[in-house]
Parts: sequence; structure tokens; C-alpha cells
Amino acid sequence: MIFDKKKITTAYTVEQCNSCRKEIKRKFKEGDCLFSETVKCPSCEGILSIEKIFGETIEQ
Amino acid sequence: MLDLTNFDFDELFGFGDDSNPLMMLIWILPIILFVFYGQRIQLYVTSNDIKKSIGKLNEYKDESKKELINFVKNNFKLKDDPTKRIEMFLDYFSIMPVDMDPNGIVPKVQHFIRSKDDYTRAHVKSLHPEISDFELSKIQTLLEIASTLQLLYKVINHLFLTAKKQNNFPLILPLQMMLPFIMEQAEALKDAIPAFKAGQPVGDGIGPMVVGKMMLNTIKKESSFQTVFSETEFDGRKLYLLKAEGPLSTVGRLGDAVKNLTSDHKFDAIIMIDAALKMEGEESATIARGFGAAIGGIGVERFYIEEAATAKNIPIFSIIVRQTAKEAIGLMTKEIADTADDVRSQVYDVIKENTQEGQSILVIGVGNTMGVPQ
Repeated sequence: MIFDKKKITTAYTVEQCNSCRKEIKRKFKEGDCLFSETVKCPSCEGILSIEKIFGETIEQ
Repeated sequence: MLDLTNFDFDELFGFGDDSNPLMMLIWILPIILFVFYGQRIQLYVTSNDIKKSIGKLNEYKDESKKELINFVKNNFKLKDDPTKRIEMFLDYFSIMPVDMDPNGIVPKVQHFIRSKDDYTRAHVKSLHPEISDFELSKIQTLLEIASTLQLLYKVINHLFLTAKKQNNFPLILPLQMMLPFIMEQAEALKDAIPAFKAGQPVGDGIGPMVVGKMMLNTIKKESSFQTVFSETEFDGRKLYLLKAEGPLSTVGRLGDAVKNLTSDHKFDAIIMIDAALKMEGEESATIARGFGAAIGGIGVERFYIEEAATAKNIPIFSIIVRQTAKEAIGLMTKEIADTADDVRSQVYDVIKENTQEGQSILVIGVGNTMGVPQ
């Protein structure tokens, strides 16, 4: 329909620190896989692991 | 100025005694026209809507085929152009077993589905023998999407052209009624392509996601083709965790796995976690508990799970996460992903409420495990 808004879905990855439980949300990168460990936590000595991968849709 | 106060409606519409023959003709002509040509006019009006939907289906079909061919070409440096072979796969048809005598039809359907799956897998692998199982499963799913869209287009176009050819309005009515549901399915399939190409979890993967996390740091063993299980403990109970082997795009063979596991171990309860289609009016990403085997598909896997549970007198509890068809096969939404922790705690609640210490429970994560390892 001419009044329909265009929907754009963006994939996000949420990483969680195994020590301080801090969550970091960023855009999905190729190779991201659930439960895999990624990098060191920026706030403590813990390791970040991917907790969730999901899409968010916005209307334009 | 136009005087609107002395309008004579009787005169205008020819209601009065001194009826205008011209006005009577204006009244009668459309009645005659609709009596004799009403269906045909309705056919033309409806045809335009259906034609637009068929145009969209054709677009989706071409788009999915293009995406599949480009994915194969870009990811695997093949010597020969795979287009012809992919087109041949897309045209494969399925003939379901005859059901005049339904006795013993489930093993026949299972054999038919597995033969088709094995054949497709072998032939996709022959395109590029070094392909990993992960990439192979992605191509198989993309092939499934493209061939389903092609089939939808062909069937709808056939019904429409037949109705048009025979000027058969009653034939077009069921098509008009079913088309919004078919278009919803087709759009969902088309929108699912990017998630499967990128290896991202889909809404249907909520069950494997919950069980996959419970399986982390345990020893995984194969229980049937593309299906894994592991053992762990919770509150004095022994848990057997079962799911399709992630991060492949597969639903595994849970029926076989449950049959094998129940013959080797004694279970006191089975808990199944799955995505379920929500009803209109229900909120998406809501959790519900119930009884019985929560597993979709053609019914073969459910049949074997129910058979195994009945033979050993094991109660089946289920936890579902409601979602639309589009959410189930597309990239997992934030709302669904956010339910994972809640579902996991509900699994533990069900275990505590329905079993006792020292008992064994089989927890099954049902659904496509694309992008969800364990």
C-alpha cells in the first residue's frame, strides 16, 4: 500500500560478563554465535559471552 | 444560487405516479445487468486483487531463487555454474504415501521424508564435497524456502488461471479466502532468508536456546542423526537434556532420540519446550504451560515421542512460547529472546512440582537450532 512504512530489521548481539553480569548490546557481526566467549569485560577481569542474538524492527 | 430546500425526492427517483420512463430504465438496467453478469463483474474485481498477490508471489519466488544461487556462488568457488542444478532441485516434487488404509502410514511418511532429506543433502554436498555441515544445512534450508515459494506460486497461479479460463466465479472464492493466509506465509518465508544466510537464531529456536544453555559444560553425545543429549543434575534429580545439534539449521530427529533414550534409561517425566503459533488477540512472546508433546511438523516425530512415553507410562509436560509464523521462521525478536531466562526457570519449577529427588527427567528443546550451539 502507498501508506505502508518500510520496515528495516537490524540484528543485535548482547554480550554478558560472566563475572560482573554487565550486558553490552552491539550490532551483530558475522561469526557471532550464541554462548561463545568473545572478549574481556571492559569493567572487570571477567569474560564476555554472547547471551542473545535478536532482531529489532524499525519503521521508516 | 442553487436552492436545495425544495428537492423532490419522489420526482428524482421516479417514485411518484407520474413515473419517468427514463428513470425507470436507469433503475431496471443495473438490476438486469447484475442478475446476468453479476458473477462475471465480481470475478473481474476479485481477479485484480488476486493478480496483484500472484505478482508478489512471483517476485518472492524469483528473489529467493536468486538469493540461493548467489549464496552458493559467493560462498563456494565452484568450477561449474550451479544454476541449472539448483533449478532442478527446486522443481522436485513430493508424492505422499497413499492413506486409504491409514494403518502403518507413519513409518511410510517418515521413510519418505528422510529419503527426500538424505537425497537433497547428498546432492547439495555433491556441488562442493568440502562443504561444512553448517553451510550444508543453511543451503538445505534456503532450498526448502525457495522450493516452497515456487510451489505456492505455481498452485495459486494454476487455480487462478483455471477459474479465469472457465469464467468460474465459485472456483475463485476459496482462493480469495485463503490468499491472505498464504501471503502471510510467503512473506514470512521471504523475510526468513537473511537470518538463515547469516546463521542467526530464529524464533522457533527458543526451545533449543533454553536447553542449549543448560547443556553448556556437559559432555554431549549423539542420540540420533543431528540430535545430541547430555546428562546433568538439578536439585537431587538427574536431567537428560536433548536438542537438535546446533548451530546447524536442523530440527534433528527427536522421535528417534526419545525412542533410543527411553529404551536405555528410565524417565519419570518428559518436559518439552517449543515455540507455538499464537492465536489472534494473544500477545507475542508469552509463555504457557500444558500437557502433551509440544512439537510441530508433519506429526511423525510427535507420534514416536507419544508412543515411547505411552509405552513407559511417562507423563509429558510442555512449555510453549507463543509467536506468529513470521516470528517463528524469521530472526528471533528481542521479546522472544528475553523470555529465555524465564522459560528456563519455569522448566526448573515444573521439575520441582512434578518430580521427586532421585528421579530422572528428560528435557527436550524442540525447534530449529540454527545459530544455537550447546
